[in-house]
Amino acid sequence: MTKTPYAELLAMLSRHRGVVGSFVVSERDGLAVDSNVQIGVHAEAVAALAAALHRKARLACGAAGCGVVTFLRLDAEKGGILAAGRDDLVLVTISEARANIGLLRVEMMRAAKALT
Amino acid sequence: MMTAVESWIEEPLMTFINDSRVRIAVLLESSGRVLAQHGFTRSIDVMSACALAAAIHASAAEIGRQLDGTPFKTMHHPGRERQIFLGELATGHGAHILLTVFDDATSIGLVRLYFAELSRRLAGAAAATSSAPPTLVDFESDLNRNLAKLFGRI
Repeated sequence: MTKTPYAELLAMLSRHRGVVGSFVVSERDGLAVDSNVQIGVHAEAVAALAAALHRKARLACGAAGCGVVTFLRLDAEKGGILAAGRDDLVLVTISEARANIGLLRVEMMRAAKALT
Repeated sequence: MMTAVESWIEEPLMTFINDSRVRIAVLLESSGRVLAQHGFTRSIDVMSACALAAAIHASAAEIGRQLDGTPFKTMHHPGRERQIFLGELATGHGAHILLTVFDDATSIGLVRLYFAELSRRLAGAAAATSSAPPTLVDFESDLNRNLAKLFGRI
């Protein structure tokens, strides 16, 4: 399989403690452009749903006059979903509760700037 | 409003429509005979859509066989504002085709995700129902009867 320009970026995110997977997703299509996930993660489903979530957040922020969404964090019982987008591409990370969200946020914000 | 010829189709298809946010959904047999529809207001449009969907599915399947050795089961065509997704569902009552039309309220990723779920739900519903698969006696009269049922004429 051909290596995409996002492979190293995703590998870097996946090396963080508590990260079970990361993707680059097209927000419009809800399809994963590239992913680096642990076995057992339903990548296609998470990619489609996270892209829809990011899109709704972007529209909500636009409607509320908050401007462009820079970072989205969804906390759940056993972990969470983090997303940072640029144009049509969204960088999504699935994390466990033990992950260092602050560090991940910084890394994702930096990485999202490089998404093209 | 969603209408179906057979009751076992209703719940799975309604769930798919609600979850995926598609605008139009038509479930048909590979022969082109309609089984359920959502989003159309005229029976003539359903008839045309079913005939075209069955033809596209048959063509895609044959292209798949020739290129890849196995028939292509799904097809996606993105237009400027609306998109089409066509996919084959294997149920215990034979192969069915789902034709959906959607816009930017959803995405192909979500449609594919819920299509896979619909496939599982329909197979489960088909297994739970005792009704035998419909026999194709007379295509035209069956098609007309199903269209009449869907549009409340009988």
